[in-house]
Amino acid sequence: MREPPYPTVLKPYGEALLEEARRRPELLCLGADLTRQTETDIFRDALPERFFNAGMAEANMIGIAGGLARAGHTVFVNTFGVFCTRRCYDQIAMAIAYPALNVKLIGFMPGLSSPGGPSHQAIEDVALMRSLPNMLIVEPSDAIEIRQAVAALAAHRGPAYMRLKRGEIPVIHEHDHPFDLQHAQLLVGGRARSDACLVAAGMMIPPALAAARTLSEHGLAVTVVNSPVIKPLDAATIVSAARASRLVVTAENHTVVGGLGSAVAEALAQHALAVPLVRVGIADVFAESGSREFLFTRYGLDTQNIVRAVWSALGRGQPVPRAPVLETPPGAYAPV
Amino acid sequence: MPAATDSLARLAARIRLNAARMVAIEGFGYLGQALSSAEIFATLFGGGCVRPGQDRFVLSPGHYVIALYAVAAEVGLLDARRLNEYGRNGSSLEAIGTERTPLVDLVCGSLAQGLSGAIGFALAAHLRGEARDTYVFISDGEMEEGQTWEAAMFAAHHRRRMGRLVAVIDANDSQVDGPVSSVTTLEPLADKWRAFGWRVAEVDGHDVRALSTALASRSADAEPFALIARTEILGRTRSLPRTLDGHFLRLDEAQQRALIAELESALA
Repeated sequence: MREPPYPTVLKPYGEALLEEARRRPELLCLGADLTRQTETDIFRDALPERFFNAGMAEANMIGIAGGLARAGHTVFVNTFGVFCTRRCYDQIAMAIAYPALNVKLIGFMPGLSSPGGPSHQAIEDVALMRSLPNMLIVEPSDAIEIRQAVAALAAHRGPAYMRLKRGEIPVIHEHDHPFDLQHAQLLVGGRARSDACLVAAGMMIPPALAAARTLSEHGLAVTVVNSPVIKPLDAATIVSAARASRLVVTAENHTVVGGLGSAVAEALAQHALAVPLVRVGIADVFAESGSREFLFTRYGLDTQNIVRAVWSALGRGQPVPRAPVLETPPGAYAPV
Repeated sequence: MPAATDSLARLAARIRLNAARMVAIEGFGYLGQALSSAEIFATLFGGGCVRPGQDRFVLSPGHYVIALYAVAAEVGLLDARRLNEYGRNGSSLEAIGTERTPLVDLVCGSLAQGLSGAIGFALAAHLRGEARDTYVFISDGEMEEGQTWEAAMFAAHHRRRMGRLVAVIDANDSQVDGPVSSVTTLEPLADKWRAFGWRVAEVDGHDVRALSTALASRSADAEPFALIARTEILGRTRSLPRTLDGHFLRLDEAQQRALIAELESALA
């Protein structure tokens, strides 16, 4: 694993999708007027006969994807997360999830990564998709996992939702990073006993790692679990890490209702673990417009808030350790 | 072709009678849908239009599945003894079509999703160079949903990739709250489809000859084809009071007996 600030790359999803499409002649790409923004201009330019722009008509796009999948195609559907889930929920439920078709829904701009305000911030997309039977949910944390996830989703038979950061994508993991659609991974710690177990995914991996570093520098043993597959949750790995811990903290770029934090809470309860749980995430509110730095800080998704959550839940008192602010050269990525 | 016309009209009468008997078991059901669409289903499945195993058939309003079962039993696609299972607990012949529904490529219970799925089938056939026609049955009420028009626009824009795409519309002016024209009118219906880039024909939906002729026609310009079949929700039967709720008919025993007698006498 690399150390922050992380180098970044552009369009790892778009490149990986084209690579899979070249290997799989049945793979098609659908979009809804956001071709460059969803990195699928690469696909459109290379394989125009297998690319379809539905225009701003998501409900129809989902229905077409269902028909194509029934006829044997693997269909990647690309738009922003809000339009991909909120706008056409009944269509996804009836035309994709219920018949368990081979359609992969790709929703860009998760949580507070968009400056566009509540209309463009997918803060409950995971909750919506989690409640649908047959739906698998993936949230990769970097360019390496994105490539691995695209390959795994193309090979997976059945519906899936993947939420993806837009724009510059950090490179965090090594090329031999062990990704599959069944497992969460221990990124940090994992010794017999720990003070806190952080469970995170996607854009919350960098702040979770940074918080773990600050906390360990202040004497705490911290475990970090990466859970890129939110459904089905790898409860075995998470419960095992939680069992060895005094505290579990989930971190999600999503409302705390119905997402990763809820999934972990259900797993802990079902395994009768009496361990304190703190869910860091958007506190059941709609947010506002603003930069990632502004929004992550204001809505508690920043490194310092994870440090604060762990420190106070363990009753450590004042002062709370300060997470250092990293100098970020142009083109690099660091957690807020 | 008067003989063929006679046999299609007779098939439509059999569809109505089958449906009336299926609904008589419980005394209620989506009988109006079969009464209004009997000639349409007779023409699609008894007139050589939909070629089973080759063409795609999408039933957008799943409430019409009763008419599909009723015709399938007559043309050898379904064991007629199974019609008694319609709407029963545990049966795959559910009252509103589901993923378990036999005989269709796609059936939607949530309305207005069928045309989009049909377009997916049409695109897939185009991509593989398969000679399949795509038929989608639509009802007028579901056209209040915007997805219908999203799909209509897409099909016209991609007309060269649609193969032969035919939407058959049962315009019976019926929805849950009453006549469609009293809730949110869709008229002028033919003009709307034309404006969306479709070739349109408008016929008496209880006239099998008119339906057959329209369905046999071909577009010279690869436009998708909307056939508007003007029908009545009670299918021009005479024994039922006009005041009944056509979307979900509840018939008492006397009404059932009268309807079945009327339909049987039409076949005598």
